Amino acid sequence: MDPSEVEFLAEKEVVKIIPNFSLDKIYLIGGDLGPFNPGMPVEVPVWLALNLKQRQKCRIVQPEWMDVDKLEEIRDLERKEETFTPVPSPYYMELTKLLLNHASDNIPKADEIRTLVKDIWDTRIAKLRLSADSFISQQEAHAKLDNLTLMEINTTRSFLLNSLNCMYKLRSNLQPGSSRGKSQDY
Amino acid sequence: MPCERKPMRYGHSEGQTDVCFDDTGNFIVTCGSDGDVRIWESLDDDDPKSISVGEKAYSCALKNGKLVTAAANNTVQMHTFPEGEPDGILTRFTTNATHVAYNSSGSRVAAGSSDFMVKVVEVSDSSQQKTLRGHNAPVLSVTFDPKDEFLASASCDGSVVVWKIEEQTQVISWPLLQKSNDVTNSKSLCRLAWQPRVAKLLAVPVETTVQLYQRDSWALVSTLSDDLGTQPINVVAWSPCGKFLATGSIGGLLTVWDVEGKLCVDRQKHEKGYTVCGLAWHPSGTQIAYTDTEGCLGLLDGLSSSSSSSTMAIKSTKVTGSSNLLREIFILESGSPAKNLVALDDEDDDDLVPATGRARNRSAFLDDENSLDPGSLKLGLDKLGNYEDDAGSAIVLPAASAAPLHPVYEGPMPTPHQKAFQPGSTPAHLMHRFMMWNSVGIVRGYNDERDNAVDVEFHDTAIHHAMHLTNSLGHTLADLSHEAVLLACPSTDELASKLQCLHFSSWDTNKEWMVDLPKGEDVRAVCLGQGWAAAATSALMLRLFSIGGVQRELFSLPGPVVCMAGYGEQLLIVYHRGTGFDGDQALGVQLLLFGRNRQQVIQGEPLPISRRSHLSWLGFTAEGTPCFIDSEGVVRLLNRSLGNTWTPVCNTRDHCKGKSDHYWVVGVHENPQQLRCIPCKGSRYPPTLPRPAVAVLPFKLPLCQTTTEKGQMEEQYWRSVLLQNHFGFLSSSGYEIDEEAQSRAQKEQQELLMKMFALSCKLEREFRCVELAELMTQNVVTLAIRYASRSRRMALAQRLSELALEKANQLQGPEEEEEPLQYTRRNTGSSVFNKDCVDLSIGLNPFAKGSPASPDKPSPKPGEFHSVSGGTGRSSAGGQPRATNVLDSMTSSSRKPTVLLGSSVSAGKLSKTPVLKPLAPRPKSKTQSTLLNMSASKAANKKPAEEREPAVDRLKPTEALPPASPADNVENTKPKTGFQLWLEENRKSILADNPDLEETDVIKEAMGRFRNLSAGDRLSWTERAKGDEGDLKKRKRAEESQGDDNGQNHSDENSAKKKKPLDTSAKLSAFAFSKN
Repeated sequence: MDPSEVEFLAEKEVVKIIPNFSLDKIYLIGGDLGPFNPGMPVEVPVWLALNLKQRQKCRIVQPEWMDVDKLEEIRDLERKEETFTPVPSPYYMELTKLLLNHASDNIPKADEIRTLVKDIWDTRIAKLRLSADSFISQQEAHAKLDNLTLMEINTTRSFLLNSLNCMYKLRSNLQPGSSRGKSQDY
Repeated sequence: MPCERKPMRYGHSEGQTDVCFDDTGNFIVTCGSDGDVRIWESLDDDDPKSISVGEKAYSCALKNGKLVTAAANNTVQMHTFPEGEPDGILTRFTTNATHVAYNSSGSRVAAGSSDFMVKVVEVSDSSQQKTLRGHNAPVLSVTFDPKDEFLASASCDGSVVVWKIEEQTQVISWPLLQKSNDVTNSKSLCRLAWQPRVAKLLAVPVETTVQLYQRDSWALVSTLSDDLGTQPINVVAWSPCGKFLATGSIGGLLTVWDVEGKLCVDRQKHEKGYTVCGLAWHPSGTQIAYTDTEGCLGLLDGLSSSSSSSTMAIKSTKVTGSSNLLREIFILESGSPAKNLVALDDEDDDDLVPATGRARNRSAFLDDENSLDPGSLKLGLDKLGNYEDDAGSAIVLPAASAAPLHPVYEGPMPTPHQKAFQPGSTPAHLMHRFMMWNSVGIVRGYNDERDNAVDVEFHDTAIHHAMHLTNSLGHTLADLSHEAVLLACPSTDELASKLQCLHFSSWDTNKEWMVDLPKGEDVRAVCLGQGWAAAATSALMLRLFSIGGVQRELFSLPGPVVCMAGYGEQLLIVYHRGTGFDGDQALGVQLLLFGRNRQQVIQGEPLPISRRSHLSWLGFTAEGTPCFIDSEGVVRLLNRSLGNTWTPVCNTRDHCKGKSDHYWVVGVHENPQQLRCIPCKGSRYPPTLPRPAVAVLPFKLPLCQTTTEKGQMEEQYWRSVLLQNHFGFLSSSGYEIDEEAQSRAQKEQQELLMKMFALSCKLEREFRCVELAELMTQNVVTLAIRYASRSRRMALAQRLSELALEKANQLQGPEEEEEPLQYTRRNTGSSVFNKDCVDLSIGLNPFAKGSPASPDKPSPKPGEFHSVSGGTGRSSAGGQPRATNVLDSMTSSSRKPTVLLGSSVSAGKLSKTPVLKPLAPRPKSKTQSTLLNMSASKAANKKPAEEREPAVDRLKPTEALPPASPADNVENTKPKTGFQLWLEENRKSILADNPDLEETDVIKEAMGRFRNLSAGDRLSWTERAKGDEGDLKKRKRAEESQGDDNGQNHSDENSAKKKKPLDTSAKLSAFAFSKN
């Protein structure tokens, strides 16, 4: 799974927009959207919101958690806690990227939000690396990690799996060698 | 000394607060129990700088760029100003400090603490401290002698002590205060103040008075007291010049004294009556900032600093006193809306202000035209006859301390008139404001140093692109419609008041016009409709313009306009009917129609507004129903079906989380039921930035017991009824209506009625059941009958069947209407929803068109019920009352109810059933075939019946709207009666007798003759009609052979349409037997 696929999944999240056109309900396979009344907030999937935004047909209302105060709180908690803390949205990174890239004019303090989300992301990735490191160094068989988002898992998946495979091979090679060494001691 | 009280700002959380100005007077600094110090650039500063100093901040003082605060962590801290950087801790106590004060040069700080100590600390070197011990209770307040020699402190032990700082000894101690054990329990904060500059006097608030002690002699030289102040004074503050003394009391009374003359020069009331606990003069002496225990910050502006001017003013007003007074009372020109609110709130606190006053107080009031003090109003309404004497005594005794009091008016107080406003705009004094926010778009006004501009933005960019206009004329009023933007500005010294219209939808190249109003006439309110613009002016005139700029009608308004709203051809005007009392506004409302039939729908009736509130929004719903909202948040909608009454449909305050939160309404929609508004945290209106988001509130009628199931359903029902009134209005004024939505609404109502019916049935409330059934349409009544019979309530079913018959009769021609004695007419009110209008619209049409002599259902008298029903084909042969038969008929019909229930419960299912379109003419062939099916076999009968039931169901709503339903359709559905049969046969003879009769006259004549027939004859006719109809299946052939004058198709069609009444009677017959 590559990041663009994760991003694709994130585009299914709903976000509020304020359209500047009027349109009746539209009926899609994934569900009904609208009706769109000019000036009235309406919830649509991110893909549609971005599309409308690019055509200057709406203003995007930032998700509730995309707020400097709330993100600062989350960041501080994330830094304080050893384990992963729950994130405001399972696609927080993707949504921030998408919305800030396309609709930064509708989101006050966009730069601060970008920095904060990056901070949170960095903290979490660092934790993930750290726990992977201890997982390997302690030669554990299994580990449990809560509150990880898809994107985060995705960043480490291929590397971790490959390296575990490598390690396994090395160990299985090492095992007879070491036993041989031991036997040589006798 | 007239001063203006600015609206209060929310600054801190609830609790003790303090306020001071910086040395330049550019900033107001407040601290509060939320532990923050806020630096305000002005009262309008929406983003004050906050410095967090601790958990709580009890007191603050500012001098030379150093801010000292007494915080909850037992320290006295210093911060730099205005940066707010921590600058060290000045001193510590064993418990929290209660008050801090600078000396005049700013070199020392005195702090009093709850650990009974007072410390004097050098600002430059905090190690140099002097401790003053001697109080036996927490220290309330401290103040420096401006000459730095003494220090005064007040304590909870009741003493006020003057200390010699150098020697750290008490100079004198007065036991003046009430004792208490803690600052929080103390009645008054007793903030002392030493006269600046001359340092001659020390002001000590003692209970309701201020005592002034002389320096050195420490003698009590005078007492400033005032009968209006009934609550202890909390805080006193000297003006920078040392001539005036401001006091703030527990009840929120702010008084400014001229100390030399011992005159009260001004008096203001806190807008909510909260306790004033911080008071500070602006260094220039023109403003007083104050804070209260609720954390709000207020400002008195426009205080003059020279005493001479104020005494001059007093003298001049003494001469013109009475006329001034009259003007003040009766031409209450008020300030901003917020100020009005202030005045309204004041009325709540009347009890705090005794209605007595002294001459000297009064003279001080007279020049205070802006004052909204209820006290002054009270005094003003003093017996006017006595007034000359009062003024005289005021001159003679300028400073009398106990002059005899004059009788004072104690009755209701007049309320200042609410100022005119544009619904959907924020106050005009804001630099960035919404000039209009409505369903079309937003008009924003900017008026700051950089720019004076108007921004117009449309919700729907398809209407027009956004516009940016420079506002060189200083427009303050705006309205926006799909066609144009209307702007208006008040007159200035040189320029007349102007009306500017940007008619962007114009098809020529000139998109703009402007009109100057006559000199001396100001625009007060503007609005736009479809093809017209209206402006109400200060000359009590309403000027109407076409949208292209042609001047149209002109008429006078009965009173000063408050606001206006336009929609299509409707113009709604609210004006002051008179002067309200005790906080109420006396508003009148006019509703005019400019369409083809110009008329005044509402002719200046009083607008029912909540008590002690003012109008805050006026407009139309998106469907065109007038609607208004008052400052209490109650939304009221015009109920056109109940004689243009106003019904409260929502209270926005119910949805607010906080006490000071409000909803700012931008639009009302009836379908879907939405109140579109902007939630405003801690204010009445939103700021322009960040861009506010619209929220949607539901409607809720304030019916009783809406927590119960019954109450809920009743509320839903009546809300639905009320909010579909607009269909009637729209269709009657020739607009298109959304018939689907209308039928959906009516379906919903009938469902609710059925549910309520079922609920009442369950609760054994049969009378109530009948009452509910009266509101139902006829076919829902049949449903109710089934329900009742299945739940074994035969008495109820019997009554309902009578009701059903009545309803059927009401649907029939007018001849029955004219023979009311034949029936027991239980209820005429039930026809409100569906019947009356049908009857009226039908009129005498059927006869005029010469309806065919088709089988008619007679309207049986209650007494004849059994015999009549016995004759119907559906009941068991011979009408033998056998139990099995009852059961048979019950089971045979048991399939239908379930289907019907299902269809009425789920609107979706119903709408999918293959029925005829409501307004489309019924295709004859189909009806015929259905009918043939029915007559062909009994087994086939059931299915078409099921099919047709909903069809009738859907047909009904359209009948309710006379103009919407084509006449022929209505005619088709109308059942025929015995009279009609008779008429068909006798028409010729009548015509022969009176050949020159009109159709209507023929019918009148016929009716007279029919009445003259014997009862038996009439009955036989009725029987015939009834029998024909009931035994349709059996007698159809016979009927055909009778060879009617009219075509068979026609009669078939008619009987098909009348299938429902037939159905009802058939079912009724079943119940009739079960009764036996």
